[in-house]
Amino acid sequence: MDLMHHSSTFLLPTIPLHHRPSLTYALVVLNQTLPRFAPLLWKHAQLRLCADGGANRVFDEMPLLFPEEDASDVRRRYKPDVINGDMDSIRKEVLDFYRSLLCILVAGALGGRYDHEMGNLNVLYCFSSLRIVLLSDDSLIYLLPRTHHHEIHIQTSVEGPHCGLIPIGVPSRSSTTTGLQWNLNNTEMRFGGLISSSNIVVGEKVTVQSDTDLLWTISIKKL
Amino acid sequence: MDLMHHSSTFLLPTIPLHHRPSLTYALVVLNQTLPRFAPLLWKHAQLRLCADGGANRVFDEMPLLFPEEDASDVRRRYKPDVINGDMDSIRKEVLDFYRSLGTKIIDKSHDQDTTDLHKCITYIWDFAPDANKSSLCILVAGALGGRYDHEMGNLNVLYCFSSLRIVLLSDDSLIYLLPRTHHHEIHIQTSVEGPHCGLIPIGVPSRSSTTTGLQWNLNNTEMRFGGLISSSNIVVGEKVTVQSDTDLLWTISIKKL
Repeated sequence: MDLMHHSSTFLLPTIPLHHRPSLTYALVVLNQTLPRFAPLLWKHAQLRLCADGGANRVFDEMPLLFPEEDASDVRRRYKPDVINGDMDSIRKEVLDFYRSLLCILVAGALGGRYDHEMGNLNVLYCFSSLRIVLLSDDSLIYLLPRTHHHEIHIQTSVEGPHCGLIPIGVPSRSSTTTGLQWNLNNTEMRFGGLISSSNIVVGEKVTVQSDTDLLWTISIKKL
Repeated sequence: MDLMHHSSTFLLPTIPLHHRPSLTYALVVLNQTLPRFAPLLWKHAQLRLCADGGANRVFDEMPLLFPEEDASDVRRRYKPDVINGDMDSIRKEVLDFYRSLGTKIIDKSHDQDTTDLHKCITYIWDFAPDANKSSLCILVAGALGGRYDHEMGNLNVLYCFSSLRIVLLSDDSLIYLLPRTHHHEIHIQTSVEGPHCGLIPIGVPSRSSTTTGLQWNLNNTEMRFGGLISSSNIVVGEKVTVQSDTDLLWTISIKKL
């Protein structure tokens, strides 16, 4: 019969280097008051999950364990990798908060069959409250929802200068930009008329506001 | 409402004699890798234009499609009638080569308001007598892929010239506009295209579209981005009909032969 080792090293401030057994920790937080050593468990874990209302606990109570720090900073630092469950306990503001920290990168969505490419584009519109970025070798594209003003910080070492703003699905009666070679100024855009393609970013910040969801696209530099 | 017929006969080795509609083809080559069937499109076209760097593509890549032949012979055989555009991509050696063979060079470098494709379509529009415009079909190679803003700009050209038949082609798909002004019959060339297809309401939502001949037909169905669009559909049989309250984009897969 084999020997099995046990040790509560996950309660130590640091896990000794040559400690055996060498374990990988995952943390699951359920919907009860966080133990006072929750940050320690979080630190040791490589995967952190909240089960439904456990996310409320992390959102509400992690900041209480760091009273000297700004609550938003603490919440961003203690961001679960996964929230799993039937979602009948998690508060909407908590779910929206963690969703807003998520950005889904998609490789392979462009090129190939055109109906697939359009279907993939439609996914951006169907999930317009999620950040989703479609990437190819040449370009990246994402949605700028009409519900917000937008500031796009250009990473000039890897992207640009060619860019575009495309009114897919619905014409735009009024769009306004700064930071582009050909800025829009309450400008109408629609298929069959003007769309902003072959534009150029000037500098490192582009701002966009529009009455409709616009698709932002920028070229990726060949490095 | 009039009926408009569509058929991808330009992908067939030879176009049947009494085929209708009887169309005159023009080919525009943009600056992307040539599709493997580029020589076939070239053969069917009566007017062949390169948009700026499209000329580099013909110069470099046509010989690759005929590896057993001498490159110079291939280049002479596949000589564009016109090279049009702002000339910021075409290589000097390529420009000089085609100029020496008699290709008409139209330098539009002063015009930064339109894309190279737009310039080529405008040229063809001005060139073709009015009487022939309805029997004209412009095939465009290299409009898809590459920079996405270019792809969207090329797509917009279809909408800006909605009374012209313009087909954008890649190795994998072809796309063209079905203007709302007509009912449409699409005759499927099953030897070269399909079965994957789609109908896309780019630009404006469609309150009502109706089809026959698809696996998932539309029946006064609403379509819009953020809701339903017809992608990953399948053609069943050899005829698809479409009518809609808006301009729809039709796309179908090209078979790998």
